[in-house]
Order: sequence, then C-alpha cells, then structure tokens
Amino acid sequence: MLMLDAAVHLGPELELAVNRMDFFRLFKFLASNHGCEYFGLAEIPGDEQGVNLRHIHALHNFPDSWVGEAATKTFGCGGPIVHQLKRSTAPVVMDLRQDPSGLDDVGGPEAAIIIPLHTANRKRYGLVMFGDAEARMSENLALIALHASLIFQRYFEVILSLDSVCGLNDREIQIVIWTSEGKTSVEIAIILGLSEHTINSYIATVMRKLHVVNRVQMVASALRSGLIS
Amino acid sequence: MNSRQTSQSLRILLIDDDPAEFTLLKRKLAKAPGANIELKFVDAIGEAVDCVKAGGIDMVFLDNRLLPNNDFRETAPQLRTAGYVGPIGIISSDLSGSYFQLFQEFGADFRIGKEEIDGTAISFIVSEYTRDQLSENCAEDFL
Repeated sequence: MLMLDAAVHLGPELELAVNRMDFFRLFKFLASNHGCEYFGLAEIPGDEQGVNLRHIHALHNFPDSWVGEAATKTFGCGGPIVHQLKRSTAPVVMDLRQDPSGLDDVGGPEAAIIIPLHTANRKRYGLVMFGDAEARMSENLALIALHASLIFQRYFEVILSLDSVCGLNDREIQIVIWTSEGKTSVEIAIILGLSEHTINSYIATVMRKLHVVNRVQMVASALRSGLIS
Repeated sequence: MNSRQTSQSLRILLIDDDPAEFTLLKRKLAKAPGANIELKFVDAIGEAVDCVKAGGIDMVFLDNRLLPNNDFRETAPQLRTAGYVGPIGIISSDLSGSYFQLFQEFGADFRIGKEEIDGTAISFIVSEYTRDQLSENCAEDFL
C-alpha cells in the first residue's frame, strides 16, 4: 500500500483507475505532489524520431505552446530530455538552466524529473515532470520513480496491453454485433445508453486488437474468426 | 488541441444544485489555455434533460449529488434516455464511494474531483473527449 502525505489518488485509487482520464488524474497528482505543474508521458521511439505527444497513448498537461514550436527542440530526438531517456534507464533530475530544453523560450520551468519506464512487452516510455524546485525533486527522486512505475504498470495493464490482448470482451462483441447490423456509433450509443465517444473508443480498441483498418473489415474479421455469428 | 477548439466554441452544460459552483467553474474555464468554451448552467436534472433535448450541448459536467436525486446512477441515465450521446463527466468533492467505479455502466465517460479541476485538467478533458478517435477509413460512409 502506498502511503503519501496526501494520498488522494495513489493507494486504493490506483487500483480503481479504468480510463485515460483516471490516469491523467493520477500522473497529475504525482507531479503536483512533488512541486511540478506539468507532466508528460509518451513512448520513446527507438529510431531517430522525436516523441509524439499526440499519440493515442500519450498523456500530458503541457500548454499548447510547448507542443507547438518548442516541441521540436524539447521533445525531438536531439533534445536533452529525449536524449537522456534514450541513453539511460535511471531516473534523474535535470537542471534545465544548464541543459536548455527549449522551454525557456516560452517561460518554461527550471528543472525536470525524467523517469524512464518500460512495459512488460519491451516498449520504452518516458515520464517527464517539470517544476522549479530542483532540490526537492532530487530528495524525493526514488519515491517519485517508484510511484511513477506503479502508476505506469497499472496504465499498461488497463490501457496499453489492450493492443496485444487477443479476444474481445462482452461489450466489444456487443458493439461489433450492432455495427454488423448497420448501426452507426451514435445509434449504438443511444441503444446502449453510452456516449458516442465511448462507442468509438471501443471500436478503436477492437480494430487494434483485430489488426483491421475500418468497420467493414472489423465485422468481416470478427465473423471469420467466430467472434460473432 | 483539435481544430474544433480553434474554430468554434465548445458548449459545456454544468448541472449542479449549487450556483456557486457555476461561478467557480467559469473562473477555472477562463484559465484553460486555448479552450474556447461556452458554459451553460442548470440546477436540476429535469432542466438538464430539456436542455440536451434542445440540442447544442457538446459536453456535460454533472454534479454527483443533485438534490433531490441520489447520485449520478440516477441522473446520468436520464440524460442518455433523452438521447444525449455527448460525453458526461461526473464531478464531486468526494470520489471515494465504491459506486463511482460503476460510472461507465451508468453512461458517464469520466469522473473528476472538484478540487482537481483546473486549467490544464479542463484542456485535457476537452482535447480527450472531442478528438476523433477513428481514422477517416472508419467514417460511417464506408458501411
């Protein structure tokens, strides 16, 4: 059981997280609890590409200005933060006054906590939290890294691992069946008493699981594999 | 941020029996970077149902305890029954009740503590629940 001074989310609530919003709340809490206003979690590509903060699995609360022009310098492959995440598996606190990140141009922070993370299926992620109090960050680095890895493990179990899980759950099968009957996302949402966003989220998950690219192929694949009849 | 935010305002309906929450949320929304949000307020689920039936609501923030109703398990389904298919977020000062774990079963999309709502949280919510999750290949014209 995690014990924090203000354990609003970690501990019992960690086990209750079920969607990306819940994980946004958990990571935001972790960041703010250690004096960081902003955080970002994204996959670290192995090649010469930078970090894609708009990827479906990325989570962050960065201002638009950081994801715009400054992103290339900060989160591109040549930036000090991404470079650190690619060369090391150890968490560090980076003094951004000595390693200019590009964020200084837009009124950015003085220090960053950089925590490399890994999924059970060998994908590399990085959590970066930006703040101004380097001393406090350094003192708590081990605890922050532990909490980050626990939240990330849960994120993997609940969200990331769905991409590689075989088979569909009951709700997903229900939605594929309605799609096979020609219902639109809005119509399925009304039938099931859910939002269109939720229906599209299920469809996107099913498509990733079945490795298909559109609804027709999704239904055909589900029929062929006997998931629906 | 997606194109919607830059091109037109997002209409959020706040359903809360405490008018002070409307004032507080308006102040927070004003601090949400890049968000162009129009906030509408009603204090009862009946009014909210009329409001969503009239159309034009992109997102709902629903207070968990809305007197004289019990909690979101009683109110959120009423919005769905009225044909509302936009995102519903349950807001509460206390999310510790075990029944919150059922929020998806009762038609809600997310939950958030009132003290957690700030400019960056609102920006994330808007971005998360207004972006297209499916590629153009998945447009329903393909059916």
